[in-house]
Amino acid sequence: MASETMVMPYYKFNVLTGTKAAKVIADPAEGAAIIDRAKNPLYIFGPEVIANPVGACLLIDYALKIAKSRDMPICATAHVKKKMLELGVKPDCTYDIIEIIHFLKDKNWSGVRGKGYHDLVLFAGVRCDLAERGLATLKHFAPHLKTFAVCRRSHPNADFAVPVIVKGDKWREYLEGLIEALGVKA
Amino acid sequence: MSKGKMREEEIRRIIRADDEWEPVGPTPMPSLIDLRNWDFRLLDTYEPFYAPFCDLCCLCTYGKCDLTGNKRGACGIDIASQQARWILMCVLMGTAAHGAHGRHMVDHLIEKLGADTKIDLGSQINVEAPIIRTVMGLKPETLGDLRKAIEYVEQEMIHLVSATHMGQEGSYRDFESKAFHAAMLDHVALETADIAQIVGFGFPTSVADTPLVDLGWGAVDSTKPTIVVVGHNAVTANAIVDYLRQHDLYDKVEVAGICCTALDVTRYDSGAKVIGPLSRQRFFLKAGLADVIVTDEQCVLTDIPQMAKDTGAALIACSDKICYGLENASARPAVDILRAVLEEQKQFLILDPERAAEVIVQAALALAPMRRDKKQLVTAAEGAALAAKCRGTCEECNRVCPNLLPVSVAVNQAREGNFAKLGEVFLRCLGCGKCEEACGHQIPILRLMQVAATRDTYKMRAGRGPIHDVEIRKVGSPIVLGTIPGVILFAGCSNFPGDIDEVAWLAEELARRKYIVNLSGCAAMAAAMSKDADGKTIFEKYIPEFDAGCIVNLGSCVANSHVVGAAIKIANIFATLPNRANYELMADYILNRVGACAVVWGPYSQKALAIGTGAVRWGIPVVLGPHASKYRRLFMSKKEASDWTVVDGRTKQRVDTKEPTPEHMMVVTETKERALVTIIKQCFRRNDTPPGRAIKLNSYISAYKQVMGSLPDDLQNFIRTEKEIPIVYKREVLAYLKEVGWQPKPVLSLPTIIGTYETEVPIEATIK
Repeated sequence: MASETMVMPYYKFNVLTGTKAAKVIADPAEGAAIIDRAKNPLYIFGPEVIANPVGACLLIDYALKIAKSRDMPICATAHVKKKMLELGVKPDCTYDIIEIIHFLKDKNWSGVRGKGYHDLVLFAGVRCDLAERGLATLKHFAPHLKTFAVCRRSHPNADFAVPVIVKGDKWREYLEGLIEALGVKA
Repeated sequence: MSKGKMREEEIRRIIRADDEWEPVGPTPMPSLIDLRNWDFRLLDTYEPFYAPFCDLCCLCTYGKCDLTGNKRGACGIDIASQQARWILMCVLMGTAAHGAHGRHMVDHLIEKLGADTKIDLGSQINVEAPIIRTVMGLKPETLGDLRKAIEYVEQEMIHLVSATHMGQEGSYRDFESKAFHAAMLDHVALETADIAQIVGFGFPTSVADTPLVDLGWGAVDSTKPTIVVVGHNAVTANAIVDYLRQHDLYDKVEVAGICCTALDVTRYDSGAKVIGPLSRQRFFLKAGLADVIVTDEQCVLTDIPQMAKDTGAALIACSDKICYGLENASARPAVDILRAVLEEQKQFLILDPERAAEVIVQAALALAPMRRDKKQLVTAAEGAALAAKCRGTCEECNRVCPNLLPVSVAVNQAREGNFAKLGEVFLRCLGCGKCEEACGHQIPILRLMQVAATRDTYKMRAGRGPIHDVEIRKVGSPIVLGTIPGVILFAGCSNFPGDIDEVAWLAEELARRKYIVNLSGCAAMAAAMSKDADGKTIFEKYIPEFDAGCIVNLGSCVANSHVVGAAIKIANIFATLPNRANYELMADYILNRVGACAVVWGPYSQKALAIGTGAVRWGIPVVLGPHASKYRRLFMSKKEASDWTVVDGRTKQRVDTKEPTPEHMMVVTETKERALVTIIKQCFRRNDTPPGRAIKLNSYISAYKQVMGSLPDDLQNFIRTEKEIPIVYKREVLAYLKEVGWQPKPVLSLPTIIGTYETEVPIEATIK
């Protein structure tokens, strides 16, 4: 369900869209409920998960906890795989962002673990302008799935988006809240 | 709709069909639908991928129409077709820009030298115009023949523009076919423009070792009267050089350029300086170091008149494409114009290059002594004062940055006299100035960067133009067999996602793996803006030949045609296949046998889209930087799930090769690391011999391990026989192949997709 008014995302460049915009998920518990409702979710890790700090950690540390909480398959895009292997985690697949979106468009695709199409796709750490284009593709051409942009800059083309969170400690709190709501110790 | 007999006769007359250099092939001067089956065959494997940038259509008064999801516009168009229509329009813009450039260049040179002026590209080049020969069936011999090429482009374009009107084309596949057609015309225009200027201005040709020229804003000696030429058409810039030479002023005046005019004026005179790519345009012009700014056409910022006023520089616009509302003084005496420039600070449009050159040089000489104070750069103390009002908390500058840069942190640190972060931002800055516009305190952020920006100077090789026939004879066989792992073209603009030195990194990673690396336009400039520990740029370190492990600067945007030309020449000279009016035969050869890949790492313009789309129709895959996702269309396969059936030219049997090569025809990658492995992969071809494939796989595995930390997880798609496994990785790869259940795949020596779709080209034509 879309929000009635469009929320201005953090980046005003390259993201303004059309008439259907994301529902803003201000409460992390609501985000956890969205994840819980999914039968076959997929988590896409972009390169900023290994570059962007969140408090004393990297974004990937939080993203991995979220993925592990529901045994979500992970698609490592760009060159994220190398860092994941260093962390002792093997991604389920290593397509680049546009390639995985190309597959996700296809309802008949077998999915990352062969369980059929993914009904929820989470995005984290993809550079915002590129993520927004990918989300636009899925908005138009993948009615069989929902997207959740776990990004503090917000994404109108997603189905569900985190609100703009400028302050780093608030962002950390949001992620910790999401992890806690998923039943994992942050 | 057939061409009709009269048109066919007209075409035969235009291309001098009775000339016997080669028999005329099936598609002389193709019209909109003549190559449609080829296009559809490509689209069958490489589906268009659309990423809508806007959900609406607002092109006619039916709308705005919301096309979200499965909604249609009032005219019936859906979101996919609307994206494809937009693509066609943008490709047409790019083609028109190159075509108009070519038209102006050809007309100017015919006026100056005569239509009968012979095309002579030197002793190393006999196949002078491989694109024009292949597309039109014409072997151009004079400047007058080049005019025929431009007339063909113009004639086709009217039909293509017509198709974009409301209530015309309605299929995304046909829009894409038309975009391919427009882009093919773009390549005809590129080749025409560069051949014309090589012939007309005596640019380097038939020589590889062109001079090293100075690059960087620090290279400009602004203590001299300084003229800065901006754009892509060097007719006036060259006239300025002529005027300086004729009046013994050459050492007294500094001529520097931004964008492709800079590249072309250094092909005319290697003493001219290159300031840098488009991303440095606003930064440099705001610095006030130019006494006279000269604009021609394409990629010229539209607010230059205001920047010139702000800095007290004179402005002379020299192209009818960019008039800026200025008085056309083309017919006024130079002395009158000069008086108005100096006394009234008036800006003018002057379309007569010689008259413009006189005014420009004389204005620079007169203004320079009066503008010494305007040329003072901002000091660190002044910079800190300019940034004083920043608190680093509003982040308005960040929020409008199209490259997502942390501008606010950098400006806030500059307030405290620390410009290191601003220096980092400068290296990624696109120069749009949106941060200044958004700043509530009106902090002049681009001026502030003067303190932070490195004033290093660099060496770039001047553009060398076409690849020599003798070079093709040398590398043709190893390229087709795969033992030279690939031919790479870095083309296009400076809309880079990261640091400006990423192109240099990519180019060097490939050159040291023995790829043939070619650069052009802003990509060539950016590649020069990185030095090794010895202070050398890649142009100083690598041999400038079209050979394995070498790095070539082709020249400006229009010189991109020479890499496509080289691919055609491999088919025509090395494989001795006839190219005359034989588009499909050449493109099929390139797609299946020539491991070439074009890279546009910093794309922004419609011209770059046209160049890239044209490459795809020729069978050359394109790898793009992330900003290209805003073009909104790519061409991608479903990897191993797609149909990779070809015809074995020897047996004429269809064979399912089961290998996705080339994997995609136009794809965006997010980081330079991912780009590296993707470029390498896009050079795999079905024609690779096992030893050739082993060399390519060696590059792929080594690069993948370097940036991804493991064996590639799609290795099984590209290994056809165990012989192809690189020895150094054999044990590891065999274990992996066993784990994933790999099966051998057929190796073909004459693969072709001719015969897998309806075409007039017989399979026999693919075999010489």
